[in-house]
Amino acid sequence: MVKDAPVDPRGPRFTACMTSAVLVVVLLTGWWPLLAVQALVFAASGFVSLGLNPWSHVYRLAVRPRLGPTSEREDAAPLRFAQGVGFAFALVGTVGYATGLSGVGVVATSFALVAALLNAAFAFCLGCETYLLLRRFAPAPVRPN
Amino acid sequence: MTGLWALVAVLVAVGATGLLLRAREGRIRTSAAPVATGPALPGPVRAALHPDDPVTLVQLSTTFCTPCRQTRVLLADLAGRTEGLHHVDLDVTSMPEVARELGVLRTPTTLALSSSGAEILRVGGVPRREALLAALAGHLPATNG
Repeated sequence: MVKDAPVDPRGPRFTACMTSAVLVVVLLTGWWPLLAVQALVFAASGFVSLGLNPWSHVYRLAVRPRLGPTSEREDAAPLRFAQGVGFAFALVGTVGYATGLSGVGVVATSFALVAALLNAAFAFCLGCETYLLLRRFAPAPVRPN
Repeated sequence: MTGLWALVAVLVAVGATGLLLRAREGRIRTSAAPVATGPALPGPVRAALHPDDPVTLVQLSTTFCTPCRQTRVLLADLAGRTEGLHHVDLDVTSMPEVARELGVLRTPTTLALSSSGAEILRVGGVPRREALLAALAGHLPATNG
């Protein structure tokens, strides 16, 4: 477990766009190995470090130089939380597709895509909207950190 | 084919949710029957009330919330410039029961409480400065603005 430094808020938006694209491909093709890879990416960046998400490196190397610097910073904890939730959906989706329950795969992938698209298009904060709800319905501590 | 229909459903859901969230952001609600008030307030909230200032803004935040920081900066500044207004940021990450008792499901949510603990209003999301001041005007000393 690494404690991530605050990040340039445009990075996660870029990551959310790329993640959305991956999930759209999964939905349209039902090719579950791609979803399995996405689940691994979610797990690595949610539970270990945001720096393990390959899209954050693409952003740093290829996108940020074109955008110019910003002094804005965003805490890493909400992003890690969202990646953890994404992992849960991607895991269920992968298991669904791989075991022939493609309905489960489609629904779980759709939920992950809703969250990623809302983030990309509306700067949606998943932790804001769901953390207290999760704690209310699951009294056993939900502690991604 | 199922995947295509799921994608269409996702896009509709994202559009509708995004517009709903945008409309809801910063909206002020004055509740006719507050969930908990005065002595019934959860301990940490009651302890945060300022004994002299007529209005205390109690902001509920969590670690997993991006706009909470922005809300804290805005409200701290507003309280600093406004006579009779006090601001407290309460992190409920490890005490979700406080949020439950207050009927709060998302962060940031800001409650405006009188010195006796009566709820004047609450705001979900990042508050809008002018609208909040206007809504509180009747509860603050007339010397302001």
